[in-house]
Amino acid sequence: MNKKGFVGVIVLALVGLMLAVGPALGADPVKIGVVGPRTGDAAATGKAFEEGIQLATAWVNAKGGVLGRPLEVVFEDTAGAPDKAASGFERLVTRDKVAMVLGESHSSSALAEIEVANRLKIPFVVVEAWADPITAKNYRYVFRAGPSNSGVVNETIAKWVQASGFKKAYIVAENSDWGLGIAQLTEAALKKAAIPYEQLVTERKSQDHYTELTKIKQFGPDVVLAYVYGTGLHYFVAQAGEVGLTPKAVILDGAGPPSLWPDYWTNVGDYGNLECFVSSMHEKVELTPLAKEFRENYVKAFGKAPTDYKSRSIYDAVLIAADAINRAGSLGAENLVTALEKTDLLTTRGKAKFGMEKGGPEYHQWMPPMLVIQWQDKAQTVLYPPEAATGQLKR
Amino acid sequence: MLALSLTNGLVIGIVYALTALGVSLVVGIMNVVNFAHGEFYILAGYFSYLFAHTLGIHPLAAMVIAVGLVFLLGLVVEYTLIRPTYGDDMYSLILTFILSIVFQSLFLLVFGPYPNKPPSWIKGATEVFGLFHYGNQRLAALAAGVVVIALFFAMLKLTWFGRMIRAAAQDREMAELNGINTTRLNLLSFGLGCALAAAAGVILAPVFPVTPTAGTPVALTAFVCVVLGGMGSMSGCVLGGLVLGVVENLGAAYVSTGYKHVFMFLILILVLLFRPAGLFGRREV
Repeated sequence: MNKKGFVGVIVLALVGLMLAVGPALGADPVKIGVVGPRTGDAAATGKAFEEGIQLATAWVNAKGGVLGRPLEVVFEDTAGAPDKAASGFERLVTRDKVAMVLGESHSSSALAEIEVANRLKIPFVVVEAWADPITAKNYRYVFRAGPSNSGVVNETIAKWVQASGFKKAYIVAENSDWGLGIAQLTEAALKKAAIPYEQLVTERKSQDHYTELTKIKQFGPDVVLAYVYGTGLHYFVAQAGEVGLTPKAVILDGAGPPSLWPDYWTNVGDYGNLECFVSSMHEKVELTPLAKEFRENYVKAFGKAPTDYKSRSIYDAVLIAADAINRAGSLGAENLVTALEKTDLLTTRGKAKFGMEKGGPEYHQWMPPMLVIQWQDKAQTVLYPPEAATGQLKR
Repeated sequence: MLALSLTNGLVIGIVYALTALGVSLVVGIMNVVNFAHGEFYILAGYFSYLFAHTLGIHPLAAMVIAVGLVFLLGLVVEYTLIRPTYGDDMYSLILTFILSIVFQSLFLLVFGPYPNKPPSWIKGATEVFGLFHYGNQRLAALAAGVVVIALFFAMLKLTWFGRMIRAAAQDREMAELNGINTTRLNLLSFGLGCALAAAAGVILAPVFPVTPTAGTPVALTAFVCVVLGGMGSMSGCVLGGLVLGVVENLGAAYVSTGYKHVFMFLILILVLLFRPAGLFGRREV
């Protein structure tokens, strides 16, 4: 072989090697969008989403990406405002050309976004916005891989209240789509269970709850079902202790993450002990091998244990999206919807499978199992469901 | 319920008054509406948290340092940003609005999205006259708030600086003709206004932990107090704060807890309808 021929073989070999090493290396990435609050009152959720996205993208790309191309996630800030959420969603589709959109944690924002998803015919997998109408509208392009108000109330909270033998309950709801919706469902569930209750609405951004708490104390409940999100929950728990409502009554944080935020104990002090909260994640209970892997990778990446379960919710959603794209074999919206409808994937929270029965919130809905956990001397004890319980309710 | 609502209204009202005094001072002297007022409140809360919680400095010393630093920052802001806008109220309005957004973004970047709370000075709760339980830290905040307001009024009434402030607030040109350096007065008044916001921040942060965006409602309530009491009237501003605190709490107790802040705006609308210059304001001739 002469010199020219030798060089030609080398060049051909290099080109061949480049093609064989992995199509993902040189290919354009497949983009999916995420919507969520990176600023504003619920910026903590944005942080949890960022962490989950980082881990999920690394996981998917380490396994060959999607359609032989790397997966890229574009995160659009909604600031928790419906108008910004709708325009942010539209930007992801028109500017970034994403194949599908995931995320959201504010029901009011999600309700604005589903209209855009439906209009632009882009698959949207809602993650942590719980209001029933999100899936109850039965839009073809809208899915939810996360809790719904009716699922959380009927499958977890109401059953726990009954199983714990509480005699009188008080429902406190913030004036948001999520708060008012979940309070209404709780009311119906308590009525059905013949448990006496009273209810009040509090302002979403209120810092001072003394008047509300004094009203609640006068009623003398043994459980307070608090549907208050964010820092407001910290104020509520601390002030409930100050006015002497707790520990006589047990507070259940009906959302979960604020009870797990890093500053929870600094903000509520000893009044945080014996508080209960709803969560899809517990420090010692892992439902699937992937959940264990998630925890290990999280600790490796961030040098701390995961607390806010929303990091794991978005992680699952990215995995569901990657799986659907691979099965669809293309980025066409119709193919993606069909693939999502046939999802049967083991995630960190169990097997994801979307409901197909039309007419109610179960359509395109996958409800992961939720736990009721109690803080007992700063350690988490699972109270409900009984098969996952690690201890008993303390009062 | 009535006793608790009145007590809580008084506590919250003093807090409102304290935050509003800084706004009133700056509006009265400089005719500048400081949209970043709430962010100075939050910054002091963060400083207090940082020094006391993270660096382990005594909470009281941390509070004093925090107020001092915010005062200095206020001087810098006035000198570099507000002074070039003298004569055009709209520029200073836009500038402070942008400043508030910049501050919020910086808070998020530096302190993160989670609430931060400096250590409480006093823990637990007290049974007040056998009627209700009330948090000790709130009672301490009430006392501290009253002391700061009293000191501010004493400064205003008894010192030369206070006389200069009152003179400039009443008639700026006449004050200048009498030898008052109003440019320097502006500088100090803006710094003092920020320091008052900071004082409210350090007193309240142990009760209501600070978050990057918590300054917006603080500033909004302060503006309502100022308008309610009469633009530039210090005593009107304190009365405005107390009225708001009590009305909000009585409304929540006897009408609805879901619309606590609506009562605030109802009162504002009523006052503007029947006394457009505010409770203590004077009509312009």
